[in-house]
Amino acid sequence: MNLFGLFQISGSALTAERVRAEVATSNLANSETTRTPEGGPYRRRMVVFNSRPASSFRLLLAGSLYNGSLQEAGGVRVSQVVDDPTPPLRRYEPGHPDADGSGYVDYPAISPVQEMVDLMGAERAYELNASAVQAAKQMIQQSLQILK
Amino acid sequence: MTLVETPLMHTLSRALDLTSTRQGLVSQNVANIDTPGYKARDIDFRQELQRALGDDEALQPAPVAREVPGLVERPDGNNVSLDRESLLMAQNQLAFQVDVQLLRAEFNRLQQAINGGNGQ
Repeated sequence: MNLFGLFQISGSALTAERVRAEVATSNLANSETTRTPEGGPYRRRMVVFNSRPASSFRLLLAGSLYNGSLQEAGGVRVSQVVDDPTPPLRRYEPGHPDADGSGYVDYPAISPVQEMVDLMGAERAYELNASAVQAAKQMIQQSLQILK
Repeated sequence: MTLVETPLMHTLSRALDLTSTRQGLVSQNVANIDTPGYKARDIDFRQELQRALGDDEALQPAPVAREVPGLVERPDGNNVSLDRESLLMAQNQLAFQVDVQLLRAEFNRLQQAINGGNGQ
């Protein structure tokens, strides 16, 4: 394992967690949005994480030689951002411009508590991965000490 | 082993290799802490080191990463333990540091021997 490869692994996680935080923030910001370009109220979005297989030639070769025993470190990626299928919340607001015939308005089914918890989870995971980057950095600096 | 590679250097360099491999796995586990269905993986350090120090050096297979047994699985099928990974990360870092220091000391001893014991 190349020590510099650690940056790629942790870096992929930093990116993924930031996307997750962005999606949670977007959900919070749009918790009252009743109009979207696609029509209808905003729909809550969720990220789907997927572990990323190794892609380097050396690792793939090693993996095929040793019967796939070495599925080396590969990191994580956001495979897709999906819409939450929960139906919108209906509130009775006859004066609202987006109210339907019977006076109900469709609002996104977003719970601020749930989004905040998600946001905090993303933040903590980001911190953890940032400290993994620090650890890798320190190890590389340490190995330079051998030369001195 | 060559004239300037002492047994200790040999062992230490293998240990450094394995420590960085292990750090890679820890990084991967930490990166996938929120990936549904992901299982934490690790190497058996002692076993891998013994194998790496074996006789047929040219035919060394790469270290085998296995799923870590005995971890509590969350409802989404992920079993990465934050505490375990943070501890391992710190432990790996220190082990790496120890190995580097020992290697440096060994190089210094060798230098001393080359100089016939007349200082550095």
